Amino acid sequence: MPVYLDNAATSFPKPKAVIEAAGRALECVGASPGRGAHRHAREAMAIVSDCRRKAAEVLGVKDPDRIVFTKNATESINLVLKGWLRPGDRVLYSAMEHNSVVRPLSKLASRGVNIEMIPCSPGGALDLGVLKLMLRSEARLVVLVHVSNVNGALMPVAEAAEECARARVPLFLDAAQSAGVQPIEAEELGIGMLACSGHKALLGPAGVGILYVRPDLDVLPLMEGGTGSRSEELEQPEFCPDRYESGTPNLPGLAGLCAGIGYILETGMNRIRDNEIGIAHHLENELWQIPGVRVLEPEKRGSGAVSFLVAGMNPADTGSILDQAFDIAVRTGLHCAPLAHRTIGTFPEGTVRISPGFSTTMENAEYFLNGLRWLVTRRG
Amino acid sequence: MKAGYNCCAVARSGERGARSGEREAGSREKEAGGTNSNEPNERQNFSERKRMNFVEEPDNLSVEQVASAMVGIYDRRGKRLEQYQDVIRERPVTLYLNGREMVTLLCAGHHLDELAAGFFYAEGFLNSPEDILGIDVNDEAGAVNVSAGGDVSIPESLWQKRTISSGCAKGSLFYFSLDALLSKPVKSDIRITPGQLLDRVEDLNRLSETYRRTHGVHNTALAEPDRVVLFRDDIGRHNAVDMIVGHVFLHGIPLWDKMLITTGRLTSEMLIKAAKVGIPVVVSRNTATSLAVELAVSLEVTLIGHVRAGKFTVYNGQERIDAGLPG
Repeated sequence: MPVYLDNAATSFPKPKAVIEAAGRALECVGASPGRGAHRHAREAMAIVSDCRRKAAEVLGVKDPDRIVFTKNATESINLVLKGWLRPGDRVLYSAMEHNSVVRPLSKLASRGVNIEMIPCSPGGALDLGVLKLMLRSEARLVVLVHVSNVNGALMPVAEAAEECARARVPLFLDAAQSAGVQPIEAEELGIGMLACSGHKALLGPAGVGILYVRPDLDVLPLMEGGTGSRSEELEQPEFCPDRYESGTPNLPGLAGLCAGIGYILETGMNRIRDNEIGIAHHLENELWQIPGVRVLEPEKRGSGAVSFLVAGMNPADTGSILDQAFDIAVRTGLHCAPLAHRTIGTFPEGTVRISPGFSTTMENAEYFLNGLRWLVTRRG
Repeated sequence: MKAGYNCCAVARSGERGARSGEREAGSREKEAGGTNSNEPNERQNFSERKRMNFVEEPDNLSVEQVASAMVGIYDRRGKRLEQYQDVIRERPVTLYLNGREMVTLLCAGHHLDELAAGFFYAEGFLNSPEDILGIDVNDEAGAVNVSAGGDVSIPESLWQKRTISSGCAKGSLFYFSLDALLSKPVKSDIRITPGQLLDRVEDLNRLSETYRRTHGVHNTALAEPDRVVLFRDDIGRHNAVDMIVGHVFLHGIPLWDKMLITTGRLTSEMLIKAAKVGIPVVVSRNTATSLAVELAVSLEVTLIGHVRAGKFTVYNGQERIDAGLPG
């Protein structure tokens, strides 16, 4: 029985509607959205607009035009960090951030931006007291991951947003792991910017990222080019989303994403989250029963991602054996988040991460557990 | 012919092998604390052997191992001497698991039951002697079939599969998944003096009559600090080690207080094999490779090489060397 437990990297399998929508966009629509007046282009534009509306709905944004499509969450993050921060600025970021945040910040640090890390507990929880203290000094931005891709830790976003609002510092939320499983009310919480990917819990194909920028924040675009609007002007349009969306959009990706979000709205995010997190809790409980297995538990769980270690075994070896002997797909190593692994004490070898998704069943979980039990027993 | 192992049945088509099996069954019962040996002669023989420096007599004088070839010996001036010379026999032996062909080894062709048991144990197909339902040795055909109980399909799916790292972290030292699964740090408080170590390596050299006659085998011994307990030789260093592993596996011999002495290079494969069965000290006259040293550190194995002229090099695990010096 092949079992896919790497949904934190990308969701698989996708809902049938996603595959059909992406296929239909390629087969029947095909045109470049917003770049023509013919029927195909109009239909393509309708797909993109529909996707924008659905994305706005799922992220708690009233005006769909504040939703920007990029190629992935990493591009969205780079856009904000490089379009907002200037030499001399001070930026705070949590000790659980992904390399998609840490690496651009490291680059910016070499250009004179002052970067400061907010410590987190070994369970991955943000220290709000320290954040409050750090915000007493002037800062240009706070970057916070909503849910850790390593252990599924849920950050206290509402409280952090409140502290940021009090200090009048925009909060930039990395919602790559949470969008689609956690309710997000970006505007209600006063989030400054939000980035997420379309291919994880939003169930779309790879190749689409999402960005939200609050209207009062003048984030410079990462690039300029054709937008299909105000083509007579040599300057980039100043209005959203065209300001940030140069070049032909990924129509099949957006059509698939639109269907993916549609599936979530139809099924109910709560139902999807309850299944995913319910399986994660079951896995955690059962993993603790297996001798020699240690679970890296989050203080508060926000997704299905569960990290664990088998005593004395490199996580890569555990993952290889699960793959080769049982056809179970897990993710091993540092998960592109070495900082988070330092925080939870699993650097440099990382962990084995299992991440159930919307279609994972208890039967899948039991199959995985039996495979791991065999491995541990055979190791002796 | 049934050789009378507790844990399994061994059938051989050749007489030599059967004799060997019968004798060793006696030593197993004693060493493993077995209770079903009620033959005084066996016990007496064991005691006699115990008084010697090694429990097992070398079993490598068999004419089957050594062939003779007419050779011409030349000197620089072209002077030729024709004579018969001993050469080590080389023969293919195919190992089967539950009737399925698994591998063909080129070897000297003796102790085939141990060779097969050691090979399948070290490769992860066998977990305990009870897994073996029988070993059928067909000397003439060069074939050994191990009948194993339990499900071997999972080890089969992992066998010789490369460990694949994602490149997203510090990777594994192991290159095969089964090695990674079965290798664990070796816990042992064995202490060896330099004199004991040098003496046991000397014993290894003395024990191989076949080497003296043919210069065509690798020697391997399992030794306690004061004595060699088992000796095997073969044209392949891995075969010799597999025989040792097979013997201790079949006879339940404890390994925490033993060292493996080989004439082969100290490579990662050798180190992994020792760690998988739990031998805390690996010794060779030869040198070690870099990966073997890394693995020795990770698996807490004392790795000693370059034993020559009264000296040796300890690559890892010096705490097991009792130098008798203060501090």
